[in-house]
Amino acid sequence: MGGYDVVACHDEFVTPGATVSCESRATIPDGKSRALLEYADDHTLVDRAVDGDVRAFEVLVRRHGPLVRAYATRILGSSHDADDVVQETFITAWAKLSTLENPAMAKSWLMRIANHKSIDRIRARRNHSNLDDVDVPASEDHSPTRLAEARSRSEALSQVLTALPEDQRRCWELKEFADYSYVKIAEELDLPVSTVRGLLARARKTLIREMEVWR
Amino acid sequence: MTPSHTPDSTAPWFAADDEPDHLDGHTIEELSDYLDRGKEPADPSVDESAACRIALASLERLHGAMGSMVQEEADRAPARDDSWVTTILDGIVRDSRSGRDIPISHPAPTARLSVTEGAVRGLLRAAGDSVDNIIVGRCRLDGDVTTPGVPVTVTVDANVYRGENIPTLADNLRSALLDALHSHTELTIAGIDVTIRDIFLIKPEPEGGVQNHD
Repeated sequence: MGGYDVVACHDEFVTPGATVSCESRATIPDGKSRALLEYADDHTLVDRAVDGDVRAFEVLVRRHGPLVRAYATRILGSSHDADDVVQETFITAWAKLSTLENPAMAKSWLMRIANHKSIDRIRARRNHSNLDDVDVPASEDHSPTRLAEARSRSEALSQVLTALPEDQRRCWELKEFADYSYVKIAEELDLPVSTVRGLLARARKTLIREMEVWR
Repeated sequence: MTPSHTPDSTAPWFAADDEPDHLDGHTIEELSDYLDRGKEPADPSVDESAACRIALASLERLHGAMGSMVQEEADRAPARDDSWVTTILDGIVRDSRSGRDIPISHPAPTARLSVTEGAVRGLLRAAGDSVDNIIVGRCRLDGDVTTPGVPVTVTVDANVYRGENIPTLADNLRSALLDALHSHTELTIAGIDVTIRDIFLIKPEPEGGVQNHD
């Protein structure tokens, strides 16, 4: 996408001698406009994207895409599906951007959309395959045997989280990354609220114990 | 201050099964909920308990550690080719932002020309961005833009970089926007309201580093 994508009205001006010109392309060097947007805060980028600025939206996509992907990968256990979630998340985000009440909260809003998209995928999997496929196996990188080799607290926590029983992990991720309430987690996972509380308590304890070791 | 009665004060709460004995009668779940609601309303029996404060600090650290964990996973992810961005940008429905049609006159009686509101907003953004030390946010056209001659008020949010003179920048912005509107539209502009929403601390360096050449 070169040049400054200003005058989206080009196709509207069909007559010769129409007044719209490409002056802006000449006066705003590409590098400058790119730098402007890359340094802009999410609030500004969201406002501009709501107004139709695809370029501002692109900056949001690049800024938050990797995190959305990491999060989706964590929930789904597959980077292939995670890529689909990233796409669906941003396409939905573009469509619903104007409903975002606090544009400065774009990041957590995107994470919530990604969460819904991930849950949708898991439900679809559940409907199309037998239950054995639903349980996501721990990948080799995160297997408990490698725990001792973790180089950082983050890495260790990541391994501990992956090694948690599936239901504990899912509850924890919904609570932690999507700010879900106990009730909402219970709805998403078809579990009683009391069970969710218990699962979260166990996950919390394990994670804190592990984290404190790394202090 | 509630005295802590700790039967086994050497074991931290997370290593014990009897949390309330370690947390002055509270459970870690209660503390977690307390944190989730921003410690509101304040609960003195928690706030004044040393054991609870330590546990709360632990929970806060865990929350922070979880955030950095996923962030690090994102940062560690190998760079990918750009196709994922292209796919997204190809998938979005751009027409959804067109807004109203703003008529443009033409000498031929059979010609009906118009420019979309979205296009005019694009024009305003571009004109605004061409003003140094400013980045434009939201642009709005208030008034009946579909009827020629009806006065329209333009409202623009903008951010400036620290250290710049805000009234001067706002004036520069206003005149750049007015110029653009006059050259490219036939709108009757009643006024241009500029709201400086934020002051950015970091100034972007354009590619090639030509920022400070004047």
